[in-house]
Amino acid sequence: MASFESHRSCACALLAGLVILSLWPRLADAQQQAGFAVGRFYQSAPGGGWFIMDDLDISGRLGGALTLTSGYGRNPLVITGPDGKQKLAVVSQEAFLDIGAAITHDRVRGYIDFPMPLLRSGTSGTLGPYQFTAPSVSLGTNPDTVSDPRIGVDVRLLGEPGSLLRLGAGAQLIIPSGSRADYVTDARYRGMFRFLAAGDAGAFKYAGQLGVHVRPLNEAPVPDSPNGSEFLYGISGGRRFAGPSGWAVIAGPEIFGETAFRSFFSGETGTEALLTGRLEQTGTERNLRIKLGVGHALVQNFGAAQWRIVFGVELFGHK
Amino acid sequence: MLVRRSFISFRRLDASLAVDPCRGVVVHQQPRVVRSNLYRCGCDVLSLALGQTSLMRVFDIARSIVRVLTGLLLASSLASAQNGAPAPRTSDQFSFMQLLADKGLHDIENESWNAYGQFTYISSWKPSFPAPYTNLNGSINSLLPTAERSFTGTATLYLGLRLWKGAEGYLVPEVISEQPLSQLRGLGGAIQNFELQKGGTSIPEIYRSRLFVKQTVGLGGKSIVAESGPLRLATHYDSRRLVFVVGNFSILDFFDTNAFDVDPRQGFLSLGFLTYAAYDFASDARGYSYGGLGEFHWDDWAVRLGRITPPKDPNQLPVDFRLFKYHGDQMEVEHKHKIRGQEGMVRVLAFRNRENMGRFNDAIATFEADPAKNATTCTGFNYGSQNVGAPDLCWARKPNVKKGIGGFVEQYIGHDIGVFTRAMYSDGQTEVYSYTSDDRSAVVGVLTKGSAWSRPQDVAGIGGNFGWISNVHAKYLGMGGVDGFVGDGAIKAATEKSLDLFYSANFGKVYWLTGDYEHIASPGFNAARGPVNIFTVRIHGEF
Repeated sequence: MASFESHRSCACALLAGLVILSLWPRLADAQQQAGFAVGRFYQSAPGGGWFIMDDLDISGRLGGALTLTSGYGRNPLVITGPDGKQKLAVVSQEAFLDIGAAITHDRVRGYIDFPMPLLRSGTSGTLGPYQFTAPSVSLGTNPDTVSDPRIGVDVRLLGEPGSLLRLGAGAQLIIPSGSRADYVTDARYRGMFRFLAAGDAGAFKYAGQLGVHVRPLNEAPVPDSPNGSEFLYGISGGRRFAGPSGWAVIAGPEIFGETAFRSFFSGETGTEALLTGRLEQTGTERNLRIKLGVGHALVQNFGAAQWRIVFGVELFGHK
Repeated sequence: MLVRRSFISFRRLDASLAVDPCRGVVVHQQPRVVRSNLYRCGCDVLSLALGQTSLMRVFDIARSIVRVLTGLLLASSLASAQNGAPAPRTSDQFSFMQLLADKGLHDIENESWNAYGQFTYISSWKPSFPAPYTNLNGSINSLLPTAERSFTGTATLYLGLRLWKGAEGYLVPEVISEQPLSQLRGLGGAIQNFELQKGGTSIPEIYRSRLFVKQTVGLGGKSIVAESGPLRLATHYDSRRLVFVVGNFSILDFFDTNAFDVDPRQGFLSLGFLTYAAYDFASDARGYSYGGLGEFHWDDWAVRLGRITPPKDPNQLPVDFRLFKYHGDQMEVEHKHKIRGQEGMVRVLAFRNRENMGRFNDAIATFEADPAKNATTCTGFNYGSQNVGAPDLCWARKPNVKKGIGGFVEQYIGHDIGVFTRAMYSDGQTEVYSYTSDDRSAVVGVLTKGSAWSRPQDVAGIGGNFGWISNVHAKYLGMGGVDGFVGDGAIKAATEKSLDLFYSANFGKVYWLTGDYEHIASPGFNAARGPVNIFTVRIHGEF
């Protein structure tokens, strides 16, 4: 009997050893992923009006804007395994605070923007040959992180504030800051060039953009990761409900996204829809805008959160 | 841990009150600045003063020289450090806001917003020095006896916005790149560059140093002009007022601000001059905290109270937000005075920290009871000492209290010259949690501006800095223990003494080029090592 037990133990140990050995090469070979800037919620410049699009109503003498935006996104990075079934939410939660300031003069706006991650967490794991380590960012562990601040300039090229069609262009430099392991940065300089359009038709407002995101990081063939430079697109529209004393409510959707040029609308493409409402007072030297947005991914890929909620406050005006 | 309250760059937020003869109101700024204003405002009174005979000018210079020498004698006899406080931007200094104001695009006397910036590069060189032992038996916190170079590069943007009546909001992003001497080990309050942060790297890192809201409630009294500057929107205050601050800031933005309103980036470089070296104020590894404070100003008197967050582990970046469990409390009383027409200030500051820190006695007792609980077998946070025969604070960390009390005096003794002294005594029973390893500290020094030699934007200073550790702290280090900064493996306990001498020359109203020499005896409170000489060059610009 004792001999039987002994043999059974040996067999179990052997079996366990074989299982470990069979897994070992895969575990050992799993390529550790370094992380990248998972956020693709590229906000408009302070004073831009919409969350992503730009009203292009820059005007007047010296003016400025200060904006504070905070948001929460669910599942902004869910990676699908090679079998197409296994999923890993490497970043399942993200929250941020973003403070930006702009100076405007005539039809030009210069701005600086400081995103600060408040929360970024998820699940670590291995999918195929890739090993992913989830970030663990909180205000306690990362009390002062500024992730990839932006410096930019926008110009209204055509049209006047309130006109049917306004055209403009913008460029911004994204300065790498933070840790790749926290999924807040590519650790590389990035740039954006955008053509902007906006207009007012009675009570209706619209805006749109097309652009290029110069993104040197190319993690292909790692699934759900940056694949080099991206094409940016977006459109928004809403109705203005006027109130007393210059106050108004503007409500409408914003649809925006990006796709990598290397896999144009086939691979790393993410698109989100955001239903926005904003209460604003305009026409004075110091104006206030309060914004709220709730959104859902139309095409979920990295950065396009399954759902998100965003809140913003803007102070803006000009002489 | 550490170091810097730099950005404060601060000009004190509540500087001296003085009458501005150009405006006929009390000015919210340091006396030195008031004097500078006198020269440029064109008031008749001033013009008369400036128009006096050259004999009088020679007399002034001679008097200044005598006072400098007096100060030097004082410094050598006393020994210790001062700090620097943020200096207001003077109107003859270049700034972006002044440029806008000159073009009629900004009201620089009643601001709704402002933006200032600075950049600083500091390079230090330490020649080799004598040391019979270094990192003995696996201890790790010695200043290396070989020649070394250190540097810091910082750039800061100060953004301020008036939110509503009496309320101001500030955001201060900053970038730093650094390389400390010996990984910032082996020195107490004599660390040669207050910009250094523990854990920093040469790869530039951008972070948010401050984000806070300040609310002022007027209670009457005289009208005070607060001039535009970093962390300050130009406005009028009541000399009697309440001020509340909530958010993320350096406690040194408000407590123990710099002597004579000299910006630290123009003044002394050594850490011991930034504030009391023994003031282990709760802060993260960069020197910043979350919390709130209140100030009560009643003409020449001010009382401040504040509670701020400590780091989760000593001298580290993660912050413990459990403010009711762990916190740093401080109280300061301040009085401004005049002696024979010369302005001065006296402050008393007391602090009480409740943090998850180790007591030296407990670490020693634990080791003596069970030598297996030594520095190499830590199961919790530790500094990585490999000394198997040494106690370690990792075995003793639990909620403990550290207390200290100190005093500061600054006094002008002539035109653009002043002396200061600052000293603090803390209980010395627990480890350093945020600032320096000093348990007791004292500094004395002299600061002068270059108006006597027609360079009013230049700054020169000399000072002595003294740091002591408690007997039990020395015993712990003598057994091979380490704390956040010091621990050679053995010790011949002594006072860490340093002499700091600098000259900052202003160029183009924007740049300051500084040469600094620091001589340190008994580095890391260990008379068996040293002395150490450190030569530093600093380039600083403001806009």
